[in-house]
Amino acid sequence: MATYSPGRRRVIIALALTSLFLLTLDLRGNQVLDGVRSGFGFVFRPINRAGEVVTTPVVRLWRSYREFDDLEEENRQLRAEIDGQRSAEIAAQNAIIENQDLLALAGLESLASYGSVTGRLVGQSPSNFDQQVEIDRGAIHGIRVGMAAINEAGLVGKVTSVAPQSSIIMLVTDPSYAVPVKILASNEASGSASSTATMTPSTTEVVTGSSQLVDSQASLSTDGESTSSATTTTVVEIIRETGVLRGQGSDRLPRVSFIASGIGFGQIEVGDTVFTAGGSTSLAPPNIPLGRVLNVITRAGTAGQELEIEPTADLSRLQFVRVVLYQPASEVGQ
Amino acid sequence: MNDTPARIWLTRVVLIGLIVLSLQMTIATEIRVFGVVIQIVLAFAVAAGAASGPGEGAKVGFVLGLMYDLATGLPMGSTAMSMAFGGYVAGWGRQYRLEPTWWMLAALASVGAAVGEVFVPIVRVLTGETGVFGARIALVLPVVALSSGLLSTLLIPIARWALAIRPTEIRVAGADT
Repeated sequence: MATYSPGRRRVIIALALTSLFLLTLDLRGNQVLDGVRSGFGFVFRPINRAGEVVTTPVVRLWRSYREFDDLEEENRQLRAEIDGQRSAEIAAQNAIIENQDLLALAGLESLASYGSVTGRLVGQSPSNFDQQVEIDRGAIHGIRVGMAAINEAGLVGKVTSVAPQSSIIMLVTDPSYAVPVKILASNEASGSASSTATMTPSTTEVVTGSSQLVDSQASLSTDGESTSSATTTTVVEIIRETGVLRGQGSDRLPRVSFIASGIGFGQIEVGDTVFTAGGSTSLAPPNIPLGRVLNVITRAGTAGQELEIEPTADLSRLQFVRVVLYQPASEVGQ
Repeated sequence: MNDTPARIWLTRVVLIGLIVLSLQMTIATEIRVFGVVIQIVLAFAVAAGAASGPGEGAKVGFVLGLMYDLATGLPMGSTAMSMAFGGYVAGWGRQYRLEPTWWMLAALASVGAAVGEVFVPIVRVLTGETGVFGARIALVLPVVALSSGLLSTLLIPIARWALAIRPTEIRVAGADT
């Protein structure tokens, strides 16, 4: 630089080529670059912490100015909602315990089967094109790349990068995010409250079958008998509407596409609930609530339906995130 | 900058870059304008370009972009390329005016920031990402450009110090070939 100054065009061309070279190396996976990133994170962390300390008063001032009225109104609404939900919560807790007992009894996986690590949000993506957050828990706490991140409301995203004491989580709204999901009917006729799958045609027989399923499970959980009732559940034909949910960016709702054809195809309605599908190749365990169908888009030809999903988790106000220490069999084996 | 040893300007740019990056990841992610994150790091890169010329702007943008990629976990080189182009464009208009006024420099910085920001999704598309180009970019670009132009009035003196240039040296910097 001191003795030789190349032409401007040569400079920008050289820098662009260097960028492309680095990009190619990094996308293909390079241990040297990973080491450099890790080292930079080690150096930058204390500076970033200092920046947080210095800017926190300004940020708080800004938040209190901007959000005070909204928070006051929201607080009023939430208090009213809490009063209304107290009784429902007791019933729900009971149902959750029963459900977990039944799943354990049947040898099925549930979210309660896995350990988890709760982390506090310490940063957000500084870019306008990524939906990512950073938490203060990392590899030393057992977190690995790919693990699902949830909060009380449902799925938040997945871990995409892990440092010893921090992790970066890609939110479900990020354009690069994708996860297999299943769509469950929320109306009474389909009996979603008692099952993790939709019921086929809304005939009287099927609805009866659905209620038998609930009854049989309840009796199993209490006395472990009623084998004849359990047998009747196999008669009920259960189908699932499955698809792949993809993020669409911060200003658009995630969408479910590639909806698998089934007997119930075409019966998805606004308000139906969406859960993770799980499976041997899915990074997320099954049955994590994700959101509700807000819009059913019918596309021409063989493109099939596409669903706009409203996430149950409020991604704009995340404070704490729980990382589920789950790895599918395909990952563990590697 | 031409007479300044590389280690001096590089050290200064990296040190200032760490501070600017820290501000980017703390205050800028919180205080958003119409939901858009103001790009302070990009603003510094284009300020360096507007202050000294296209070559220097590109180099500073590249260094800051690499730091940005390292800190955020993005593919290395993706932001470096977009910021290098932003710095280059901001400095490109510089060569046509030897003694630009402050608002001219701010305008150059705005144009450079818009170019740098639009290169982010372009580079992402090159890496195979989909869905990064949305209608939102119509809001992101003007906000980032305008905020970078305003911030550049504060950042240009810092950039001049980092690159060890004085106003009289700009002519030399703008004429390098």
